[in-house]
Amino acid sequence: MSGSEVIERPDTEAPIEGKEPIVRFEKISKSFGELDVLKEVDLDLYPGERVAIIGPSGSGKTTMARLLMTLEEPTDGYIEVDGRQLWHKEVNGELVKANEKHLHEVRGDIGMVFQHFHLFPHMTVLKNLMEAPIKVKGQTKAKAREEALAMLEKVGMVDFADQYPARLSGGQQQRVAIARALVMHPKVMLFDEPTSALDPETVGEVLEVIKEIAKDREMAMMLITHEMSFARDIADRIAFFDEGKIQEQGPPAKLLNNPETERLGEFLNRFGIDGNHG
Amino acid sequence: MVWDWKYALDILPGLLEVAPVTILATLGAFAVALILGLGLAFARRSTNRLLSGVTHAVVEFIRSTPPFVQLFFLFFVMPQFGVTMSALMTGILGLGIHYSTFLSEVYRAGIDSVEKGQWEAATALNFTPRQKWMRIILPQAIRPIIPVMGNYLITLFKETPMLLGITVVEMLSQAQIIGSQSFRYTEPVTLVGIFFLVLSYGASLLVKRLEIRLNVHR
Repeated sequence: MSGSEVIERPDTEAPIEGKEPIVRFEKISKSFGELDVLKEVDLDLYPGERVAIIGPSGSGKTTMARLLMTLEEPTDGYIEVDGRQLWHKEVNGELVKANEKHLHEVRGDIGMVFQHFHLFPHMTVLKNLMEAPIKVKGQTKAKAREEALAMLEKVGMVDFADQYPARLSGGQQQRVAIARALVMHPKVMLFDEPTSALDPETVGEVLEVIKEIAKDREMAMMLITHEMSFARDIADRIAFFDEGKIQEQGPPAKLLNNPETERLGEFLNRFGIDGNHG
Repeated sequence: MVWDWKYALDILPGLLEVAPVTILATLGAFAVALILGLGLAFARRSTNRLLSGVTHAVVEFIRSTPPFVQLFFLFFVMPQFGVTMSALMTGILGLGIHYSTFLSEVYRAGIDSVEKGQWEAATALNFTPRQKWMRIILPQAIRPIIPVMGNYLITLFKETPMLLGITVVEMLSQAQIIGSQSFRYTEPVTLVGIFFLVLSYGASLLVKRLEIRLNVHR
C-alpha cells in the first residue's frame, strides 16, 4: 500500500519535482464476470500533469477513468486521490469498503467529460452549469451564474446559455459538458474519448477547447483518446494500454517515435504513425 | 317512459350538490396513488431483494383483485380489527391504493427511460443520491409519463360510482336516492352519465394538449 515505499517517478515532461501524486492507482484490477479488463495496473498522476491514455478498444483504458470517477468499483487494488483512499476508508486502522458518504467526500476532486456528453436535457445550458455548484458546493445563485457565464465564454458557448441541449450540435454539447465539469474546479479531470462521438467537422473545435484549458497547470488531466496527433501535442506522458495492462509509457516524442514494444509499434502502424516521423 | 325536461331540471341542483364528493374522492385517491405509487416504484427498484420481492408480490396481488372487493374489505372487514374510517376516507384510500399499483409501473417505465449516462453525469458532478433523484432523474422520468398519468386519472374518476357500494353518497348514489323518491330513474341516471362524459372528455382534451406541450423541448 501507499506511503511506505519510495515513489518511483514516471518519465514525463510535466514539472513534477518535489510533488506528491494527485492520483495513485495501485495494483488495480477489474473483472466483469470472466473477463479481466484491468490486471494489477499501477499508474500515478501528478498535479497539473497531462497523461494521455491510448490503446485498442477493450484494452481497459476507459475502465481506468470509470473506476476513478466511482462509476465502477474495482475488483481489487487501491486508488488514492490527493492522499486519501477513494474506494476504502480507514476504520480502526483497517481499510474497509467505502460507503457513499466517503465516496462523496473524495469524489469532489474529480471531474469527467464523457464520450456522449450527457448534458441534462431538461435544463438550459446555463442551468446545466449552475446546478451542481449551487446544490453540491452550496454556492450562491449569483456567483454560480457569474462563473457559469465566464466558463461558457471560455469555451465559446456563451451565446447559447439559454438554449436547451437538444438544439446544439455534438461539438457544442461537448464544449458545454467541458464547461460544466470545469465549474466544479476538480483537481483531476478525466476525458473519456471526448471526440469519438462527434461529426468529423466538430472534432477540431472540441480539441481546441481542451488544449486551451490544458494551458494552465492547475488541474491534472487524464485523456483517453484515439486522436494520436492530439495526444502528441497535449500530453506530458502517454500510457499505452493493451490487454488490461500498461505496456509502455513515456513522453510523447519517445513513445510515438521509438516504441519499445512490438504491440505499440503495431498499434501505431494502424494509425499510420510509422515510428520515424516527427 | 319519456324524458321529462322539467323533472330533469328540478333534480339537477340536488345531483350537482354531491359533485364535490365525486371530485374530492377522485383527486384524493389520485393523490394517494401518486405518492404511494412512487414509493412502490422505489421499493421495487431497491437492491434489497426481500423488499423488492415483497413489493412485487403486493403490487401483483392488488392489481389482480377487483377494487370493489378491496373496498368491501376495507369498509366491512377492517373494522373487525379495530380500524374504522369514514366511508369517503375508506373510498379515497381504497381506490388510491388500487391505482398506486398501476402508477408504480408507470413510474418504473419512466425511470427506466432515463438513460444511464444521466446517472453517471450526476455522479461525476457529485450530486447526492437524493439530489440525483430530485433534480436529474425524476424530472426526466415524469415528463414522458404525464399523459399516461392523466389517462389513469380519468379512469379513476369514472370508477368512483363504485363507492356507492360502501355507502358514500356520490353522484350515482345520489341519483339512486332521487330516483327512488319518484320512481323515475331515467333522468337522474342519464344526467350522471352526462356529468361523467363532459368531465372525462374535457379532461382527455387537456391531457392531449399537455402531451403536445411536453413534446416541444424534446
